[in-house]
Amino acid sequence: MTDRFRHENTCSLNPPDISDADILDAMKDIEGYLDITPGDFKTLYQSAYTHALERLARTVQARDVMTEKVICVQADTPAAEVAHVMANHGISGVPVVDRKNRVVGVISEKDFLFSLGNQDKTSFMEVIAHCLSNGDCLAISIREQDAGHIMTAPAITVQGDVSVSAISGILTENRINRVPVIDKKGKLLGIVTRADIVQSSCIPTIKTDHHR
Amino acid sequence: MDYFNKMRGTTQSPPGVNFPEIIWSWIGAFAGIAAVSYSHYTFFAQTDMAMIIGSFGASAVLLYGAIKSPLAQPRNLMGGHILSAIIGVCAYKLFSGQMWLASSVAVATAIAVMHATRTLHPPGGATSLIAVIGSQKIHSLGFFYVVMPVGLGALIMLVVALLVNNIPEKRRYPEFWF
Repeated sequence: MTDRFRHENTCSLNPPDISDADILDAMKDIEGYLDITPGDFKTLYQSAYTHALERLARTVQARDVMTEKVICVQADTPAAEVAHVMANHGISGVPVVDRKNRVVGVISEKDFLFSLGNQDKTSFMEVIAHCLSNGDCLAISIREQDAGHIMTAPAITVQGDVSVSAISGILTENRINRVPVIDKKGKLLGIVTRADIVQSSCIPTIKTDHHR
Repeated sequence: MDYFNKMRGTTQSPPGVNFPEIIWSWIGAFAGIAAVSYSHYTFFAQTDMAMIIGSFGASAVLLYGAIKSPLAQPRNLMGGHILSAIIGVCAYKLFSGQMWLASSVAVATAIAVMHATRTLHPPGGATSLIAVIGSQKIHSLGFFYVVMPVGLGALIMLVVALLVNNIPEKRRYPEFWF
């Protein structure tokens, strides 16, 4: 079973490890003769636990776990103000919306970072190295820009009825930490972060590619 | 090696039951077997008919001693006994010239049919076997063996199980009917 899943860091697919002694104690709690061995019960328990996780992963949807009060910015919001918004709210990313509240992009810390140097830098240390050796990447370079310039677009979004397991897969495959939830017209409904998924009851990431 | 390793077992025996469970098992079995055997010896002992057969002793273990077991539920009790009785009578009628064959066909087929119909009830195996190896009195019953002693006897034991097993606060029967 385990090769079908990739786990979120704090989650485990395995049920709590119950011992034979636990099972025997439980069987004593239930009065009357139970026609099952502790070994069979353990097998049943572990299998049922896995089925429950799979069911939850299938049935819990984006709208069940999303944060509804989303902090977002407009495409013409100056970059400096976007940075303030993110800093003040202690968040590492914001959706960018147009006048009709439709999601047009997402800005994350990474987008700021990479705007400081050349666009082809792929890691934090590469940007640092580039800045230290060339000195042409002062924050000044994005001072005049607005959200629309530095955002990643088009944004990866999901509809409200997408399952949490599918979202887990999307986050992992795209190496992103949050995904805006939109309605059929593209309007922002909420946002699902990795933390939302972890809190939603430790649902395993079902790999959406070849293994299914 | 794997084959022999399997013979070592993997787990341990379930815990024993408490004293009240033992007492209620005794009371249930006493009442259930009393009901069928009293009517047998009072009304049918001198006739060609019977009310009790050996497999009811096995049913009593389940019905009054392991009342949560799926094997002890009404569907299994009635279905298992009645289907096995039919199979046993058929086996005797078809293979009575070869008693070893009639016996083994009866029990093996009874198990298969009980499995297929989700009515597995271990005493059913005995019910089918008794139809073959039983007395002349049993043989002469023909298919009436299915109705009585088997069907009626099992029904009486079921009624007693319903009455007795639900007296203690912490016991209940059945888990399911069908």
